[in-house]
Amino acid sequence: MIVNILVGIGIALFGFALQTSIGGINRKIVGRLQKRHGPRWYQEFIDIFKLLSKRGISHGWIYDFGVIMALGGIIATAMFMPLTVDIVAFKQFDNFFIFVYLLAVGMLGMAMSASGSGNPWASIGVMRALTTMLAYEVPFLIVALTIINVSDSSSLTAIQAFQQTAGNNWFIIALPLGGLVGVLSLMGMLGKKPFETYIAPAEIASGPMVEYGGKQLGMLFILHEISVFIEVSLFVHLFLGGASNIFIFLIKYFTVYTVVNLISNVNGRFKIDQVVKFFYKWPLLLAIIQAFIAIYLGWVI
Amino acid sequence: MKSTKFTPVPLTKAETDKKWWEIGDFFRRNSLWLLMYCTGCCAIELPPAMTSAYDMERLGMGPMATPRQADILLVSGYLSLKTLRRLIYTYEQMSEPRYVVALGSCPINGGIYHDSHAVINQLDQYIPVDVYVAGCMPNTEAVMNGFVDLMDQIKHKRANGWKKYHENYSWYKANQITSLGEVDVHDEFHE
Amino acid sequence: MANIEYLLLFLVGSAVISYFLTRLNSFIGSIFTIFATMFVFVSLAAYGFNMNLDTTVSLLPWFSFSQTYLGFFFVIIIAFIYLMVSFFHPYFLDKYPYKNSYNLLFLLSLAGIIGAFYTDHFLQLFFFFEMIIWTTMFLIPQGKSREAAVSYFGFSLTGSVALLIGIFVIYQNVGRFDIQAGLAGISGTTSVFVFVLFMIAALAKLGTFPLHIWLPLAHGNAPHPFSPVLSGALVKLGAFIGILALIKINPIGPVIGAIDLALGQYIIAFIGSLSIVFGTLMAIKEDDAKKLLAYSSMSHGGYILVAFSALNGFAFAGGLYHILAHALASAGAFMAIAAVARATGTTKMKELGGMIHKMPITYLAYLIAIISMAGIPPMGGFISKWLIFQAVIDRGMILIAVAVFFGSVGSFLYVFRPLAALFLGQEFREYKHVKEAPLLMLIPTFIIMGLNIYTGVIPKQIIDFINNIIGENTAFAPVVATTFTVTATYGTLNAGLIALIFGVGVAIAFIIFILMKKSRKVELMDTYTAANFVHDEHLLHYSVDFYAPLERMYEKQSHWMKKFYDALAHKVKEVGKLAKYLFMSNNIGVTLIWILVIIVLLIGVVAL
Repeated sequence: MIVNILVGIGIALFGFALQTSIGGINRKIVGRLQKRHGPRWYQEFIDIFKLLSKRGISHGWIYDFGVIMALGGIIATAMFMPLTVDIVAFKQFDNFFIFVYLLAVGMLGMAMSASGSGNPWASIGVMRALTTMLAYEVPFLIVALTIINVSDSSSLTAIQAFQQTAGNNWFIIALPLGGLVGVLSLMGMLGKKPFETYIAPAEIASGPMVEYGGKQLGMLFILHEISVFIEVSLFVHLFLGGASNIFIFLIKYFTVYTVVNLISNVNGRFKIDQVVKFFYKWPLLLAIIQAFIAIYLGWVI
Repeated sequence: MKSTKFTPVPLTKAETDKKWWEIGDFFRRNSLWLLMYCTGCCAIELPPAMTSAYDMERLGMGPMATPRQADILLVSGYLSLKTLRRLIYTYEQMSEPRYVVALGSCPINGGIYHDSHAVINQLDQYIPVDVYVAGCMPNTEAVMNGFVDLMDQIKHKRANGWKKYHENYSWYKANQITSLGEVDVHDEFHE
Repeated sequence: MANIEYLLLFLVGSAVISYFLTRLNSFIGSIFTIFATMFVFVSLAAYGFNMNLDTTVSLLPWFSFSQTYLGFFFVIIIAFIYLMVSFFHPYFLDKYPYKNSYNLLFLLSLAGIIGAFYTDHFLQLFFFFEMIIWTTMFLIPQGKSREAAVSYFGFSLTGSVALLIGIFVIYQNVGRFDIQAGLAGISGTTSVFVFVLFMIAALAKLGTFPLHIWLPLAHGNAPHPFSPVLSGALVKLGAFIGILALIKINPIGPVIGAIDLALGQYIIAFIGSLSIVFGTLMAIKEDDAKKLLAYSSMSHGGYILVAFSALNGFAFAGGLYHILAHALASAGAFMAIAAVARATGTTKMKELGGMIHKMPITYLAYLIAIISMAGIPPMGGFISKWLIFQAVIDRGMILIAVAVFFGSVGSFLYVFRPLAALFLGQEFREYKHVKEAPLLMLIPTFIIMGLNIYTGVIPKQIIDFINNIIGENTAFAPVVATTFTVTATYGTLNAGLIALIFGVGVAIAFIIFILMKKSRKVELMDTYTAANFVHDEHLLHYSVDFYAPLERMYEKQSHWMKKFYDALAHKVKEVGKLAKYLFMSNNIGVTLIWILVIIVLLIGVVAL
């Protein structure tokens, strides 16, 4: 058990390092896209360590407790995440629903802490974040339902193994409509434009993060990196066939994150009700059609 | 005789803290986030500094939304008595260590508004300023140079404005009160 | 050996005693109520788990009792909620207009509950149901509104009439009032008829769509300590009737091939999913914390219906687990709100803020309750929802899955709202004097907090007991569970491991937090306001119309059901007026017309 927990912590740490580097590289890519130099690839590390080294403020015990609970929840979620078919901390317990719902503990902690700061913008940001969550989760969960029903398991390693068996396609090909919904939901999950309404720096002063500075903000940055790692890996494992070794995982991970980031950088920002309307129109419809086709008719490419 | 080369000399607490502080300074000078307090015309020099012409991000700098998150308070342009009060409030909300960069001649000596009844002439009477970028208005190279100067100051531990503010708090406070006056009514329209 | 008959008589007797004691002194009467409830709970818990209760009847003629695992499951949950709530009585009773009768009715309704779940006779079931409805009907108006009691009684009456007709239909076909034999004996059209009637009773008691109007009214306006009983315990009667209809009667209607489920069951699941969606949307919109939780009960009622109509062992177990988890969660949440209401005198979220600084333990109780209610690990609600998801995915019920997932994510939204608006945010100056709830009220709070976590970490004992129910009532395979894990169709859930890893994660985060520089403590009012000076904390508290952009999208539609029932009530009144005009009029002309009509009819009859 101790070994498993250590492996889990290792995965969480790896995820943090991976996403922080790739996030930095992506900032450089976006810089080039905008005809700029862009920052150093390790800029995100510098930012995080700088924040941790500063002396911030505290608005009372719930403000601190919420941050600890949030980061704890996210680290716990990352510890369950398989990297490849073999590298997984807790074999057969990497249930899909854990990632969706244990992630919510982290989000709840962050929301609690943000509201506890007493700033109305933080509450508005939390409201928007939760509303966005209501928008993207339902189509995503319907596609996940289809995948679990088709692959006959909700364990992520089993879903990876199912896609890697000869004769089975990756789910993004096997369920093309579902794959499209998956990409859109992933963008919502990552809070990329056009779905980054809940951050909106110029409008509600970066939303939930408005009151954070110093180590609390640093911990929220770590939280953000790890949760991006969880969400992108989830997409890789569900739709892109997972990975049989760590290099394939890295390639797929990098591709997914970069593509999503590039799409997001040529978009504007939706209003919050537009986000909800958008997700409950096409993605939900496509997800339901995909589920009908795959489950009732059995048409899986 | 026993060699002392490989036996580490235990550091005192002050020395360890200093080491950590130096490491922290490396991170801090390479990731300076700005809170822009733009009341004057110098603000127009900032867009080129941020976008592809001079690309502030390659130095690890970027704009931030709130004083809690920011490291630099960037004061550009003149300060009236009304805005000064808000500037001080904002400065006190920032996380430490915090730095102040003043753009243009207005914060130095009042600039073209030096004889106005509503504008203050010297910003560093009220809050400590780490870097001045003189000029009316300074061009973008000068602005960037100011930031690089600040980084250099942090590296050589000379960017100590925030410490001075603590040490001479009563002096700063007295100046603030002399100029702004005590406030008796607390509502949205006063203070 | 405890005897059910004696327990019932004991409760009736102590109800009378408590009446006189409360009359003497409400505190003594309430303490007596606590001990009476505790005695009943302890005797049930000591003997009931192994079915060791004595069911012989000597003093009450015509009554007969039998014990089942299913009945006991409900009884022990409800008796537990009653016990927990009774700790609140000493602090609330003085505020109510008819406080003498409060404890009397409270104990009598508990007697009704025990009778209802232990009887094996349909008419007695009906009798005990009526006993519960009549006693609770007089408890509800002690709160704020009589209208709420009328609405509660009206909908309950619909349910009980449906139940009574169903019972008579069964008697007509089977010739017996025995519950087990009666339900097993019907088939064909009769069973469809009984199914529909029983489901009406179940929907009305459970407060699910379309019979949900009473739920927010009754929950919102009931006395504060009675709302946890209503939501955590009494609506579960509907779930019991639902099980009788959905599981005990043979599946209704043709089987839908794609999902391998009978049509009748699918329709009920669909009603359940509508209930989930409506409850969630209405809860998101609601401003009164108690009404919000009432709508959440409606949504959870929908989950219970979906679970039982899926006709699947995992779903059945999940439904029962959900009854337990929701009873604990909603009792915990309602009790936290009751503690706040006692201290501040309101449950409106727009009037409250920053209670966490005054009532941290109440806040924690609410937090743990809502984590369970939203189905987030490591609390009980996660295991039950997980089991229900398995069945929904296994059956491939896509449309129902949309509702189930919507309700699950939507619950994050509405449970967070009281947290943000009522407990967190700015501290209002008018509540500066408020103190944490007294120790006697904190005892049940702590117990429920502990149980919420227990149900989410160690599912073994509960699943084992549920397996007994599965074996007793159905042909489903039992659910495999070890101390910390539950295994279902699509994999194994290790609840203990999740809790452990969550603990590890929090420990790591705490280490990071503690290693770094200590923060500067600032006041709540010292927040970023774009450098504006704000001196009124009410202006910095975001709580009115919390989800305004979302609410705006369905604002117009949200009154449809209420309008429908208003129109229905209006029509009923019109019919009543017509009848009154026709038969009870003072107008001489109308009377003459009647006389003429009767004469004409008589002549006609005679002539024929």
